[in-house]
Amino acid sequence: MKKMLLSSVFGLGLMAGAMPAAAQTASCEIPVGAVLSITGSIAAIGKAIGDAGQLAVDQFNEAGGVAGCTAKYVLRDDQGSPNVGVDAAKTLVEIEKAPIVLGAIQSGVTMPILTSVTVPGKVVQISCCSSAPSFTQLAQEGGTDGYWFRTLPTDRPQGVVMANIAKAKDYKKIAVIYVNSDYGVSLARSFKASFEKLGGTVTSMTAYNQEQASYRAEVNSAMQGDPDSLFLIAFPADGATALREWISFGGTQNLLLSNALRADEFVKSVGAKFLTNAVGIDNAQTEGPSVEAFNKAWEAKFGQAPNGPGLHTMYDAAAVALLAMEKAGKPDGTAIRDNIREITQGDGEVIYPGPEGFKKAKELIKAGKPIRYEGATGPISFDANGDVTGPYLIWGVADGKLTTVETWDKMRVADAIAELDK
Amino acid sequence: MSGYIAYLVFFLIVALTYSIVVMGLNLQWGFTGLFNAGVVGFFAIGAYGTAVLTGPDRAELIGGFGLPFPVGVIGGMILSTLAALVVGLATLRLREEYLAISTFGIAISIQLVALNFDTLTGGAQGLTGIPRPLFATFGSPGAYNLFYLGLVATVAAVVYFGLQAALHSPWGRLLKAIREDETAAASLGKNPAMVRLQAFVLGSTLMGLAGGLYVGFIGYVSPMDFLPILTFQIWAMLIVGGSGNNRGAIVGAVGVWALWTMSGFAISRLLPVEYQSQGGAIQVIIIGLLIVLTLLFRPRGLIGEAQSVSRHVS
Repeated sequence: MKKMLLSSVFGLGLMAGAMPAAAQTASCEIPVGAVLSITGSIAAIGKAIGDAGQLAVDQFNEAGGVAGCTAKYVLRDDQGSPNVGVDAAKTLVEIEKAPIVLGAIQSGVTMPILTSVTVPGKVVQISCCSSAPSFTQLAQEGGTDGYWFRTLPTDRPQGVVMANIAKAKDYKKIAVIYVNSDYGVSLARSFKASFEKLGGTVTSMTAYNQEQASYRAEVNSAMQGDPDSLFLIAFPADGATALREWISFGGTQNLLLSNALRADEFVKSVGAKFLTNAVGIDNAQTEGPSVEAFNKAWEAKFGQAPNGPGLHTMYDAAAVALLAMEKAGKPDGTAIRDNIREITQGDGEVIYPGPEGFKKAKELIKAGKPIRYEGATGPISFDANGDVTGPYLIWGVADGKLTTVETWDKMRVADAIAELDK
Repeated sequence: MSGYIAYLVFFLIVALTYSIVVMGLNLQWGFTGLFNAGVVGFFAIGAYGTAVLTGPDRAELIGGFGLPFPVGVIGGMILSTLAALVVGLATLRLREEYLAISTFGIAISIQLVALNFDTLTGGAQGLTGIPRPLFATFGSPGAYNLFYLGLVATVAAVVYFGLQAALHSPWGRLLKAIREDETAAASLGKNPAMVRLQAFVLGSTLMGLAGGLYVGFIGYVSPMDFLPILTFQIWAMLIVGGSGNNRGAIVGAVGVWALWTMSGFAISRLLPVEYQSQGGAIQVIIIGLLIVLTLLFRPRGLIGEAQSVSRHVS
């Protein structure tokens, strides 16, 4: 009884809080679907990503709702399994009638949802977290009908930037050791293609499987061909194991490191003194007023800094979808698809994350004026395949600590890609 | 309302595809007593076989033959048959838990091969753009799904009646004889090793068939589709539905899959928005709880094994 009393008081409080927003909008609700891994192998990051989507939807409702209605966030768990994720997406599209599906996290779940649910159902799908290049390929073949977008840069620009760094460091023969996942494979391939185009040689491409006690065999085979440097694409724990073995076998300390290795635990367990000549890459998402706006809102709500993969990109996925729906004026997948580039490109007035930003956006849209959303990840520009490029930072290790060496803004990344594609 | 029907059609396509796998497992475990813990391996071989044979040609891949869908499915089945033959010859001398462990290991190996044999399977990227049979001839996805449900239901029905006929034949009684007492069966001049192999290979072929149907419907395949959890799901379907009864196998497939998926839907409807992100954990607890309760109250499954007597008796 006490519990019930408490919960009803709690509920009343919530209702009171929601009142002003509800008063401004009609009583209708538009579902915003999301399919994420809340349980299963990557549950550790899934919940916070879900919260990031929720934050965007809440802020939009605070600004007065979307397309004349209240947006309702419907989050479904894929349990880390494609079959469960596909089914969840299908209920979102058919029963909830959601015109947008946000997600999923792993490419192996995102892809079957795209091919069997969202594209046939003419529903927009925006992923925060799937970086596999197979989506780009599918889009090029016309398999997505333009309904596919993602706010996370693919692995390709990262490979291109790394190849440029390697060239600037005057490395000639590079060995690549990479984690055998869609992330590792595609980054390694992109790096190899770019580096060879820039005139370098990749002496070996060695894949490793995760969570092994030792990577001696992989390290040995990577050492063949006398490389003058190593590009390690790994996650911190396995990466440290492999790198310690590499160094103890006398491998070069001319190291290139992937984004996932930018972690204190990695530096600590390898030993900072071995990493003085190492450079790494990571997605930069640290600067600009639009990024600050998101970070502040997150801290205000959850009491901690938004440190974790997928938070910024998930927020932007939801925000872009909602703004495009506002611009379209109706919860229709095809109309949202056609408006996504309208609100992220061009010379419109710049919109930042947060209720004030969304309110301003709604007024401008109502007045028929163009807007350009700059999100939690900075300016966003989707190419024809629904991909974005991102800014990168180059990091190193000095005095035992991670430091930022330089940053590559989006223009510089785009130029490097254009240079390579010539 | 039409939304619920569209979803129901979609749900039944997947559930009936699984029912074919469950019937395959039922032949192995329910009737012959072979503890196959590597179900997902044969499902994977059928799926990849079909995907490689029917998929589009790509520069970086060996496969992509662009063959018609029926050829692809039959090809996938043949590959599953061959794999089951090899696995069966190597492992069927093992009993119960030993067989379970070795088949489990084989399924993991098959998944790892799929993950690492890039040039054939696309590795972790999977195979994309696999054509869905006759997709272009249907105007809307709803109509297409209805067609595909018809296809899967027909195949499941053929499998069901085929198995029923086989199980009511002398061969079917021989399976049960071997399950109950192998020595007694051998003393009657039967060859248990041969019959066990037949049941194992036929069951695995059905799993391969289901794999092909799954790929044709989803249009994509990746190693993530074949994690050991699927083997567990299939086993749960068989045990809950009723091991040793093919109707039980179908009921179990539909029932357990409904529990697995619709519990998520129910939770997302019932939970307030602020608690959405806890819903996943609650769902997993409910699934486990309902399976345990079913087994407590219906230990032989929803539809248990029927008494079987030769129709020539009486």
